[in-house]
This record gives sequence, structure tokens and C-alpha cells, in this order.
Amino acid sequence: MFSTILEQIVNGIVTGSVYAIVAVGMTMIFGVLRAINFAHGEYYMLGTFGAWFSIDYLGLSYEASIVVGVLSTIVIAYVVGKLVMQRMVGAPAESGVLATLGIALVLQNTVILVFGGGYKFFADGYIEPVSILGFSLAQQRILILVVCLLVFVGLELMVTYSRMGKSMRAVSQNVDCCEVVGIDVPQVVLRTFILGAALAALSGVLTAPVNVSVYGGMGELITFKTLPIIIMGGLGNVRGTFFAAMILGVAESLVATYVGLQFRDTVGFATLILMLMWRPHGLFSTQARF
Amino acid sequence: MSLTETAQQIRRRDLRIPLGAILLVIALTAPFIGSRYVTHSLIIALIFMLPAHGLNLLVGYTGLLSLAQAAFFGIGAYTAGLLAVTYGTPFYVNVVAAGLAAGAIALPLGIPALRLRSTSFVMCTLGFVIIGQAIAKNWISVTRGDMGLSSIPKPHFALGPLSFTVSGTMGFYYLALAIGALATLAVWAIVRSPAGRNMIAIRENETLAESVGIPTWRYKLIVFMISAVFAGVGGSIYAHYLTVVSPLTFQMYYSTTMLIIVLGGGAGTISGVVFGSLLFVGLTEALRITPELRMIAYGLCLLALVFWFRQGFAPLINRFWNAIGGAK
Amino acid sequence: MTGLPILEIKNLRKSYGAVKAVNDVSIHINRGEIAGMIGPNGSGKSTFFDCSTGLAKPDTGTVKLDGQDITGWSLNRIAREGRMLRSFQKTVVFKSLDVEENLIIAGQMFTFPSLWSTFGLGRMSRQRVSGLRERARELIKMAGLWDVRHQPAGNLSGGQQKLIQFASMLMPDPKLILLDEPMAGINPKIIERVVETILYANKSLGVSFLVIEHNIDVVTSICQRVIVLDQGQKLVEGLPQDIIQDQRVREAYLGG
Repeated sequence: MFSTILEQIVNGIVTGSVYAIVAVGMTMIFGVLRAINFAHGEYYMLGTFGAWFSIDYLGLSYEASIVVGVLSTIVIAYVVGKLVMQRMVGAPAESGVLATLGIALVLQNTVILVFGGGYKFFADGYIEPVSILGFSLAQQRILILVVCLLVFVGLELMVTYSRMGKSMRAVSQNVDCCEVVGIDVPQVVLRTFILGAALAALSGVLTAPVNVSVYGGMGELITFKTLPIIIMGGLGNVRGTFFAAMILGVAESLVATYVGLQFRDTVGFATLILMLMWRPHGLFSTQARF
Repeated sequence: MSLTETAQQIRRRDLRIPLGAILLVIALTAPFIGSRYVTHSLIIALIFMLPAHGLNLLVGYTGLLSLAQAAFFGIGAYTAGLLAVTYGTPFYVNVVAAGLAAGAIALPLGIPALRLRSTSFVMCTLGFVIIGQAIAKNWISVTRGDMGLSSIPKPHFALGPLSFTVSGTMGFYYLALAIGALATLAVWAIVRSPAGRNMIAIRENETLAESVGIPTWRYKLIVFMISAVFAGVGGSIYAHYLTVVSPLTFQMYYSTTMLIIVLGGGAGTISGVVFGSLLFVGLTEALRITPELRMIAYGLCLLALVFWFRQGFAPLINRFWNAIGGAK
Repeated sequence: MTGLPILEIKNLRKSYGAVKAVNDVSIHINRGEIAGMIGPNGSGKSTFFDCSTGLAKPDTGTVKLDGQDITGWSLNRIAREGRMLRSFQKTVVFKSLDVEENLIIAGQMFTFPSLWSTFGLGRMSRQRVSGLRERARELIKMAGLWDVRHQPAGNLSGGQQKLIQFASMLMPDPKLILLDEPMAGINPKIIERVVETILYANKSLGVSFLVIEHNIDVVTSICQRVIVLDQGQKLVEGLPQDIIQDQRVREAYLGG
């Protein structure tokens, strides 16, 4: 009994890591744009499709497919960023919702149109189980955990020390001042957006071997998972997002085991609505942005 | 400058009556002119016009962006379907019950949701759709889960000895047209009332509206409920038309469609919603565009609306209108 | 009855975190009086206004309007039931609506007996609205906005918007009006017009005023009594001519 709970918690943390890598990009984009990116999960889907395509059609190895998946997503993100996201600087929150909703529709349905709406099989990755401390855990899951930690440590360092991190922080605090002191706001927005999309794609490619199935609607599902996370984490707050993702991952895993699998996908929004009623500013104060 | 403007206005007014008459004639004779499939497309457009009218009151007049319309549409569809299948209640009872049920559920949902601001409110309304779908899927004893409800009877009316069933496409078209016309009239009445003016005041500047004594929060709640009633009625007619309801009625797809109708037609105008439903639902349905292509088109329209046509596509039509006025 | 102050605020406090924006301020406004409130920037005038009018909730203290305790009422209820209206420092109008509609909206909640009755379209409702329209037109004439009455308020100049806001507040026969820097950022010609309107509303309509204002000439010319706030506390109150002579007030402004 106890070991099942522990196993579920570990599984939950892995799922939480997947969510965390996607959500952190979304929350950073909110930081610089003050807009929620409803299309963020679509980059997760694009990354996965890129990898699946390169394995199934081009016969590449999994390692190479990670690179192809992430790079192709970066290219698409660059185009979307140039054409759409940069225009959203200073626009009201509602415009952001509508514009990114539009992007989500275009990306998702274009992929379905090109590759068909059915489920595809992702047949690669490090799926050998290894046993650690009496648990048996697939290598891929360990990889996800490690990458998640690396991503967050890397982001912390970048935001604190690098030039780009500093300008991101500046933009998220006050856009008008940035323009006065000569920070190129659209450039910062574009870079943040591409970084976020690349992270989402990476998360998608890393998760594909675990999820096995690949389909056009998978991005929307991830968007719906990460939306509650970034709000619970306090919009724009990187650390808060990390913890909120972990909490949701574990909660989903426990609900799936002890309440019923069918309720798993509702946990996020149910918690979100309860939380919005109780603490409208997120579980972790919005003050601690980045 | 002002002289030509007034001249144009007069011309426009002259055109209004004949043009309205033409539209009325087209609306009444459409099933005889177009094929059965075109009539079907028009029915779908008329059904979607109802939740869109409700959403317009919320987005266009009160300034609240909501994605919850699909949830209330689904609640209406399920209410009507369950009543019809379980108790065999007649069509008009189901429609009224569906509207009331959606409106009643909107009250406890609206009270907490409307305390939230912009993005959080949008998110919360999206949550309602997702949770609605989960309930429809999992409350199997009532909703029959993924199987959904089937063989919902076609509308049946009994007036003393007279009784008839609306079964054909043509009959349903006139039913939908009548309900659509009533709904449009209802929206017109709400918008023209002093309350409509207060709603616009809330959209324009909520704090200022408060400061002139308008209880903004209560108005927003009432409008949220009214919009849910429209969606619920729309859902019930949808259920009776398709004769099936499934958990997929609770879908972002529907919320997106309603949003496109309102924003594309021109938020804050009644004719915009009528025009929007015909264009975005009727036309796409009639052209048998695949759902994917339609969604891509919707997505591109959303982007165009946000960045170029903030007033919706109606001004384009207006320009066209002026052009005919000038030609006359 | 007439001896009772129209507005009586006792021991009002409001803190934001560690900052005591308003710290134990008590004031009263007499019936028919035009009182001024001055103080350096950041002295808590606006917070005091917000707490008195229901835009913010005071931490402690009581607000009594015409003998009735209205502490904790919302902004809209204070306006509607108390007929105490306020303006905002940054002029606000319903931008896309024309001047006449702006004024009609300002009067609606005072004319219709309940929220539900505003949904009516019947004869009663139409009569009420046409009554409002008539009153709106009178006020528009008085404010000198007749020629622009059908233009969207957002297209007009800052001064004209100020006049719209002012006329809007006169729509419902107010008891008391609180003005937050009515003269800020408008040209001298409009200042004169606003001063005239305040005096007219005060003399002919019997409206009492509390005015936050930096323009000391305006304060001394229209106010019967001036209250000075500094660092969230009441520094002094008295006749305008005494206040401008007061050493403490000078020090507060000079930061001495």
C-alpha cells in the first residue's frame, strides 16, 4: 500500500516535470507580454510531431529526432513570434487571449490536415526500466526529471546573471521604462517566446516515448493542463510555476489511482477554480516575478 | 463634408426598408430556393445565433470576454435531451426548462467567477467547459457517459385536437427562424432598455459606472445569467434537431465558434451577430468545409480581427452598403 | 437638523502594508459648505477620498453621511442611496458615447426605483428616460456643451470632458460632491467655468462640496474652510486666509 503511494508520487513528479518545462515558458511569456499564450501546448505538439516525423519518415535516431523536433519548432515559433507575438506588446489582455487562440487553431488543425487526425505510434526512446532504491523506473522518466532540474537551474542562472535574463526581468516589470532606457522590447518578447516554445517542444519530445501515442489534439490538452499551473504559480513567477506543476502532477497521479482515471484531467481546472475563489493572486505571491 | 454625410444617411435610411423587406422575403422563401442541404446549413446558423446573441450581450455590450458559452449550450442540450428521453415532455417545455436550467446554473458559477478580472475570468469560464465535459462523461447514471443521449424526439406540438410533429428540414427551418427572430427581438429589447445603456457604461469604464450609482457587479451577474439562458435555449434546439447529445457538446470548439460569430460580425451590434452566424456557421456548413479547414479559417479570422478589424467585419459590409447607396 | 454636518468622518485609518496612508483623520463638512482639502503630494488626500466614497475600504473609522452610517458601503451604493458623488483625478467619461448619453447614464440609477425596472421598455420607462434627457439638455446648455452634445465624449478636449463629468454629477440632485483636483491640467478659461458651476451648484442647488485642489487661488476664492493633510494626518484646519499664513502648512509644503 505504502509503496504504491510512493510510486504514484514519483510518477506524479515525472508528470509534474513535463508540465513544469512547458508551463515555465508560458509563464515567462506572460511576464514579458502580459498575455496568456493559449497556443503554448501546440509547440509541445509540434516538437513531438517533428520528432515522430524524423523517426518514422526520415529514419533518424531518437537523439537526432530531439534536435529536429526542437529546431523545427523554433523555426515555426520564430515566424509566429515575428508575425503575431511582437504585435501584442501593449495590447489589452483580451486581444492576447483571442490572438493566441487563433494561433492554436491554425497550428493544431494544420497538423491534423497534413498528418491526419488519428493516433500515431511513437516507437523510440529509452524505455528500458532501471531500478533505483527498490523502484523500477523507465530511463526516459529519469531523463525527464534530470532535464527538468537542469532547465530550472539554467533559467534561474540566466534570469539572474545573463543580459537577456536581466532585460526579460526589466520588461516584465515595466515596459514603458524599458523603452526609455533603450531595451528593445519586441526583441526581448521574441526571444522569450522562442525560448518558451523550444522548451515546450523539448518537453514534448522527451515525453513522447512515455506517452507512446502522438496526435494533433495533444497540444490543446497540455495547454489546458498548464493554464491552471501558471495561474496557481502566480503568473510570471518561475519558482511558483515549478512547485505548482509538481503539485498538479502528484495530485493527478493520486486522483487517477484512488478516485478514478477519468477524473485526472479535471483536477487542474477544478483546483484552479477553487483557488481563484480563495486566493485570486496565485498560491505563491505575484511579487516574486522571475 | 457634413452635407455629403447627411445625404448619405438619408440614402441609407431610404434603403433600410426595401432591404429589410428583401431580407425578410429571402428568409421566408429560403427553403424553397436552396437545396435541402442549404436549408440544413441555415438551421445550424440560426441555432448558433442564440448562444452568440447571449455572448454578444456579455462581450459586446458589457465587455466581459467569456468562454463559458459552450458549457451553457451543453447544459441546455442535456437538459432538453434528458427531459425528452426520460419523461417524454413536449418540445416547448424542454426549451423553456433548458433555458431556465442554464440560467440557474449560471448564478452559482457567475458569483465567484465575476469577482475575477480579465485573464482570470477568461480562464475560469474555460474551466466551466472542461469540467462540464468531465461531468457529462462521468456521471454515467444520468448522462450515459460517452454514449450520450440518442433518439431525442423531433419537436411535437399539440394544441387541443390539432397536433403535428416538425420532422422535415423545412418545418424545422421555420421553427428555428421563429425562435431566432424572437431571440433577436429579446436582445433588441434588452439593449434598448435603460439597462442596456448601463451595460455599455460598464463596458466603457467600470469605475466610472460605479461612481454614478450603477451596481456593476449585479448587472454583470444578471447579464451572465441572461447569456446563459440564450445558450441553454440554443442547446436545447440543437439537441432536438440532431436528436443526439454527447459530452462533446462541451467543447472549446463551440465556444470558439460563438466567439467568432460575435467578434467577426461586430461585437456590440445585433445585426452583426445575425450576419456573423450566417457567414461563419451557415456559409462554412453550406460549403461543406471540413472541420479542420474551418478551424484554420476561424483562427486566421481571429488574428485578423484582433490586429486589423477591431470592429468586426461589419464595417466592410457597411462600406458595401454605402456603395450601393451611392449607386442609387 | 440643519446644525448636523452633512458629512462626518471619524478616526479614519488606512494602511497599505507598512505605509500608513491615512492615519486617524477626523473631519466634517457642514451643510451648504464648500470645504477645501490641500496637502503636499502623498499626504493621503486621494486615499482619504477613496475611503470616504467606498472605492477603498477603511481599516478603521466611521463615515456618516447626513447622520447615516455608510462605512463599508460600496461606491455605487454611496452614490445611489447617499447621493454623495465623487470625481476622479484623471478625468473619465464614457468615451464612445455622446455627451447626452453620458449624462443620461449618470442620472439613470437615481430615476429608476430598482435594478429590475431598468430592463423595462414600457411607457413608464420611456417617460423616465425622456425626463432625464430634458434635464441632461439643461445641464449641457449650462456647461456650454450644446454644440458638441452629439459627439462622442472621447473626442472632446480635456477641459470639455471635465465639464461633462461635472454636469454628470449634477444629474441626480446630489447632497454632497467630492472633487479630486478638478482644476488639474485645464486651461484658465475652463477653470473659470468650473468655478462658476461649483458656485452655482452650491448657491442655487444647495450642494455641499469637498474639493481637493492644488490651485491655491481657487481654494481661497471658493472655499469657506480649508483642511490640510500632511503625512496621512490632519495638520490644521481653518479659514483660507489663515491657512496660507500658517507656518506649519508652509513647512509641510516645503518639506521643512
